[in-house]
Amino acid sequence: MKQLFAALSSESLKLKRTLALWMVFIAPFIVILLQFFILFDRAKFFAGRDVWEVLMYGVTSIWAIFMLPLFITLETALLSGLEHSGQSWKHLFAQPIPRWSVYAAKLLTVMGMILVSTLVLVLGEIGAGKLLSVLRPELRFHESPNLTMMARMATMVYLASWILLAFHTWVSMRWKSFALAAGVGVAGTFFAVFASGARIGKFYPWLFPVNAVSTSPERMKLAILLGIIGGAIIAVAGCWNVVRRDVE
Amino acid sequence: MNHTALETVGLTRSFGGLIAVNNIHLNVEAGSVFGFLGPNGAGKTTTIRMMLGLIKPDRGRVMLFGEDLSSHRISILGQVGALVETPSLYNHLTGFENLEVTRRLLGCSKENITNALGIVKLTDAAHRLVREYSLGMRQRLGLALALLNRPEILILDEPTNGLDPAGIREMRALIKQLPGQSGITVFLSSHLLSEVEQMASHVGIIHQGRMLFQGSLAELHAHQHERLVLGVDRPSVAAEVLTKQGWHVHQEENNRLAVDAHGQKDAASVNALLVREGLEVYYLSQQQPTLEETFFKMTDESVAGGKP
Repeated sequence: MKQLFAALSSESLKLKRTLALWMVFIAPFIVILLQFFILFDRAKFFAGRDVWEVLMYGVTSIWAIFMLPLFITLETALLSGLEHSGQSWKHLFAQPIPRWSVYAAKLLTVMGMILVSTLVLVLGEIGAGKLLSVLRPELRFHESPNLTMMARMATMVYLASWILLAFHTWVSMRWKSFALAAGVGVAGTFFAVFASGARIGKFYPWLFPVNAVSTSPERMKLAILLGIIGGAIIAVAGCWNVVRRDVE
Repeated sequence: MNHTALETVGLTRSFGGLIAVNNIHLNVEAGSVFGFLGPNGAGKTTTIRMMLGLIKPDRGRVMLFGEDLSSHRISILGQVGALVETPSLYNHLTGFENLEVTRRLLGCSKENITNALGIVKLTDAAHRLVREYSLGMRQRLGLALALLNRPEILILDEPTNGLDPAGIREMRALIKQLPGQSGITVFLSSHLLSEVEQMASHVGIIHQGRMLFQGSLAELHAHQHERLVLGVDRPSVAAEVLTKQGWHVHQEENNRLAVDAHGQKDAASVNALLVREGLEVYYLSQQQPTLEETFFKMTDESVAGGKP
C-alpha cells in the first residue's frame, strides 16, 4: 500500500504543466458554457420551467453521452503518452516497486482526475445558475438548486464511467499509438449515438454514463452496476496483462 | 563473502524463431567495470533487459548479489541503477523534477537528488526544463536517475550512443570515476571496442546471441595473435613456399604478406626460408593486432562456425 501511495505521488508530479491537467477544468467548463448560452439565449422559452432542472439535465446529458467518454479517452491517452513518448515504461518497471503499483497508480490518477472534473462540473452548474439569475432574472434561478440531486446525478454518471476508465487505461498503456487509443474512444462514442435507442443499448459501455441518469430504474441500476463491476474486472485483467508483458 | 555482483546462468531468449540470446553465462566481479561488447543486434540490450526483469528469459536465470532475480525482484532492483538505451525523461519537467518523480517511487532522501546532480555536473541546470537540454545533458540526467538510489551495481546500455565527441568524453570520465569513488560495479554495453578498452577492466564479447569471450582486458590482449608482416619481390611465390612449410599466410594489400608467426625465432626462420628459395625480402616486422582486429577475427570465426 505504501508503494501505491509512492507511485501516486510520483504520478501527480508528472501532471505538472500538462494539457491533461488543464483538461480537468476545461472539459467540464466547455459543457457548462454550452448549456449557459442555451439558457441565456432562449430565456423566454425556458421561463416558467424548473430551470435548475433544465440546467442540470442539460449539462449532465451532454457530459455523460458525449464529453465524458471522449474526455476519458483523451486523459488516459495523454497520461500513458507521457510514458510512451519519454520511453519511460522500461525505467518505471525496472524500479524496486511492484509492477502492479505502476498500473494501479496510472488508473487511480485518471480516476481521480475525472472525479475532480465531475466536481468542477457540479460547481460550474451552480456558478452558471447564479450568473444567469443576475443576467436573466426571468429564469428564476434565484431559487435554491437541489444540491443533493445534482451531486447524486454526477456521482452516478461517474460510477457508471468506471468501465470506460479501466478499459481506456488498459488500451492506452498496452498500445503505444495515440491514434489507436483515440480511435477506439471516438468509435465507441460515435456508435453510442446509434445504440442509445436500441434495446442492446443498456449493455453498451459507452452508454453507461448516460444510462446512469435514465428515467428507467432498471436501465439506471444496470448501468451503475455494470460500470463498477465491469470496471473492476477490466482493471484487474488489464493490470494482469500489462505487468506480465515484455517491456519495450 | 561473495565477490560476484552479477551472474547469468544459461540465459536464453528467442523472439519468434530467432534466438536473440543463446545460453549466456556472465560473471561480473564486484567493483569491476565490465564491458559487454558486441555489434548492433548481437543481443546486448536483450540481455540487459533480462537482467532488469523487463523481459523474461525462456531459459536460465539472472543472479544479482547471489540472489535470483525472479524470486527477489524488488530487493535486487533496489540495489541496481540502470540506463537502458535512451534515458527515460519527461520533457515538460525540469531536471530536478525528473529526479523527484523517481525519488518519490524509491522513497529515498531528497539529498540523493542533490548528490546525483552533483556527480553528473547538472546542479546549475537542475531547474531548467529537460526539453531545453542538449543530448549530452539528457544522457547525464539519465545517469543521475540511475545513480539516484545509490546503487551497488550500475547497468548502462550504450551510454555514449548519439553523443558528440565532447559528450562522449564527459560521459566516459563520469563512468570511469564511479567504481573508485563509490565502489559501484559497472556493467556497460557498447558496440565500440575502443570505448570498452578505455573504460572497462573486464570484457565480455557477444555475437549473434553467443558469448565469444569473457575475461579481463589483459586476458583479451593475450588472446591476440602476433603476426609477421613482410614485403618480398614475388609475394605469390613466397606465399606458396611458406604455406608448403606449414605457415598460415594471408595476402594483404600492396603486395604484403602476413604470416601467423610468434617471436624472433619464427621471424628468423621465415626470413631464412625465403632467402634460401631465392626470394628478395625487403622488410620484416612483427605486429600486434589491434583489439578491433581481434574482435572482428572472433566474430568472423563465429559467423564461419568456428569456435573462439
